Amino acid sequence: MIRIEPPMMVLNQQPTRRPSVLHIFKVYYPDLFGGTLTVIRDICAGLKDTFNAAVLVCSRSGGERQIVVNDVAVERVHSFGDVLSLPAAPTYPWRLWRRIAEHDLLALHAPFPLADLVFAFGLGRTRPLVVHWHADIVSHAALRFLVEPMMRRTLRRASAIIVSDPVLIETTPLLQEFSDKCHAVPFGVDVEKYDRPAAHSDDVNARGRLVLACGRLVPYKGFDVLVRSAHARNFEVWIVGEGRERDHLEQLIRDYGLQDRVRLLGSVSESERVKLLRIADVFVMPSVTNAETFGLAQLEAMAASRPIVNTALDTGVPHVARDGLEAITVPPGDPTALADAIETLINDPERRRRMGQAARHRALTKYSTTAFKEGVETVYRKVVSEEATAKDAGSLAPAPRPQTAGFVGAIQIAAALAWSDVRHRYVRSLLGPFWMSIQMAIMVAVLGSVIGHLSNASAVARLPMLAASLTAWTFLNSVVLDATTALQGSASLIKDRALPPVIFLLQCTFRQALFAAHNAVVPLVLWLALTPRDVGGAIAALPGLVLFVIAALGVSLVLGALATRYRDIKPIIESSLTLAFLASPIIWTPEMIDRGSTVMRLNPLTHLFAVWRDPLASGHVAMTSVIYVLACLAALAAAAVVTITQLRKAAFWI
Amino acid sequence: MARIHLRDVCLDYPLYGAYDFSLKRRLLGSLFRQSSEMRIIRAIDSISIEAEAGARIGLAGPNGSGKSTLLRLIAGVFPATSGKVEITGNIVPLLGLGAGVNLDFVAADNISLLLRISGRKPTPAILEEIWAFTELEERMQRLPLRMFSSGMLMRVLFATATAFPADILLLDEWLSVVDENFSAKAEQRLRKMVETAAIVIIASHDHALLRRTCNSIINLDHGRIASTVALDAPVPHHLELREISA
Repeated sequence: MIRIEPPMMVLNQQPTRRPSVLHIFKVYYPDLFGGTLTVIRDICAGLKDTFNAAVLVCSRSGGERQIVVNDVAVERVHSFGDVLSLPAAPTYPWRLWRRIAEHDLLALHAPFPLADLVFAFGLGRTRPLVVHWHADIVSHAALRFLVEPMMRRTLRRASAIIVSDPVLIETTPLLQEFSDKCHAVPFGVDVEKYDRPAAHSDDVNARGRLVLACGRLVPYKGFDVLVRSAHARNFEVWIVGEGRERDHLEQLIRDYGLQDRVRLLGSVSESERVKLLRIADVFVMPSVTNAETFGLAQLEAMAASRPIVNTALDTGVPHVARDGLEAITVPPGDPTALADAIETLINDPERRRRMGQAARHRALTKYSTTAFKEGVETVYRKVVSEEATAKDAGSLAPAPRPQTAGFVGAIQIAAALAWSDVRHRYVRSLLGPFWMSIQMAIMVAVLGSVIGHLSNASAVARLPMLAASLTAWTFLNSVVLDATTALQGSASLIKDRALPPVIFLLQCTFRQALFAAHNAVVPLVLWLALTPRDVGGAIAALPGLVLFVIAALGVSLVLGALATRYRDIKPIIESSLTLAFLASPIIWTPEMIDRGSTVMRLNPLTHLFAVWRDPLASGHVAMTSVIYVLACLAALAAAAVVTITQLRKAAFWI
Repeated sequence: MARIHLRDVCLDYPLYGAYDFSLKRRLLGSLFRQSSEMRIIRAIDSISIEAEAGARIGLAGPNGSGKSTLLRLIAGVFPATSGKVEITGNIVPLLGLGAGVNLDFVAADNISLLLRISGRKPTPAILEEIWAFTELEERMQRLPLRMFSSGMLMRVLFATATAFPADILLLDEWLSVVDENFSAKAEQRLRKMVETAAIVIIASHDHALLRRTCNSIINLDHGRIASTVALDAPVPHHLELREISA
């Protein structure tokens, strides 16, 4: 190991203005209540003297876009509802990107893949990022392979990661990779809020049968296990909270005939909850998955001197309230063990009192709000001052910083390369790429006359469409052919300049798009000269044309990488392209082909051409074509994602 | 701040034979259970390097000991097979000057393109400055590079590659320009670049050069760190520079 210490750095002085921090999360008050939101609220309130806080979230309530909650400006982006536990707010990434520049620090409350999307594309690099790691993604684990690379990129870019318990750094594989920038800052609880009035001195309810649990009614909270545990026992269970599991839980209570002992109290006010915590005899945290990282609710119960029953998760839960000291810890998802633990406590008032006292002591000493506030503030300050130092150092440098930043930088380089390719065509000839347009014009003229004779139709009227189809096909064909050799052709740039290989595949699409723009002169002139110039149809064709270009890009990425890895694929691609040209309705007119033939119907190219040609010709497009194209694009996108991850190895192949 | 952090990094380099590039062979091979195992050499074998601002690291070792591969791994060309690689700072890999040059383009266009490739925006002022360094005639800017002599070409490429300071500078052998009048100037410019960079890693066979330039030398052998030599104080360059410029 070689360690060269940096020279001592002089920290720069306090900034005169309060730096502003943007909290990024999926939802905020008043749309929802819950542990994570409490934490964000406490950070905003606790740090209000040192940091200006703002919150950017999604909301499906459709109310005001800008609201103020507890003196904090909250901006809400419209969401159409939840898909896979994520708000469907297509404009959120865009809005986030626009907002980033207005703040000095970004605080992302993870997991939130919608925001990861922004950071994964390398946007917003100008501002330091702190990730509050609230939980790993446990539900929808099948989609993890899509989300994990993005989360990793976000964490790599983050300056610091804040977790609630040190054990999370050890047990979460993704956090292990970044353990040196993780900071454990345990949540805090304001113990005084749970102080009993002096008059109410009986610490332990003699009847002692009331079991309380709090939390959103969602599957990972394990309330169904709690309901089952009440079966054939004699304690009472009250559950505070609201959520989509409510119907399921009510059904379960009815099935077991527990209506008189198990109650769902719904949402209750904060003061009401404090009262409930005071009268409860046992507090239960029956969570069943590692999505429960800390269990803020059990900490509140500890502050209220309640004994806890919690579950042996790999997270902070059994560390906050420890088995035998403040809690009895049972295996998650085991109703019998849970019921036994609850009964043990209910039958032993003295133990309840002892554990309650220990719990309160631990909450008071280990989980104070001050310690939490100071912990977060220290991390925020450190990150902001490091950024300021780096900026100062940057401004001293004689040259501007390079603009390359992740994906955006790659696109810029690809565009510059493509542009220079096109310019090069002009270097040697005056006409440049318009030579190809002449070629295109000749091809259209020849094919048009031949087909005109073949089909007996008015050949002239069909010429603009034939020219447009040929231009589009030439584009697709050249993009794919270029892509198969692009990486080998740029081996030195990849190996000696360390440019990401994806640049050279993007370059193919950009270059051919520029050439296609030259070729498009032919169909454009024919269209202006020979048709009634229906501008509406042309505009309606644009979305379809965009889909066509995206498809070309996707195909070139996937096939370009494959053809580089397996050299025998290139001849297959070449012959397939010829076959595809003949098997698709590019030069064939509707009368000449059997539209119902299976090959025509299943050929994606038929639909890929239909989505922009049909609107151009008739103003509308068949829904089946659109759906077929979108499905193909979705498959291509998945393949492209896999390809891009594999392209990291491209340097080995060339 | 610039920082390089490698911990237990390994790199398995797949050796693709003529048939390993064939999908058909691959599919048939797995069908008939032929041993389709690709030959792999461990080009880098659990190497840990920790470098912060001020580090000048020399990589020494025989041919094929993994010097260039390690530089390319740090540059991000090869992904590590295992271990942890963390690099902050903008990396300028000067591993080959010729990469990205198109001889058919005129000199000015080539310079612009090369600057764009390294993520810089080419402005007339920057182009002017680079051209001034080459000491070539103004009108040659508009000539295609194919018409340049190899010495002139080197001048242009060298001037472009060293135009901007780097946070992390990676050099595969010291760049030298074989040109009587120009070499001293080029040497001085590279020295300056090495001085201003936060971290410099040089792979070289020239031990004297490494001892002059670096404050630690890593000897590589078969992808492993054979030994690490820490040199207390690197010889100050200023003295030498004055000698050269005098």
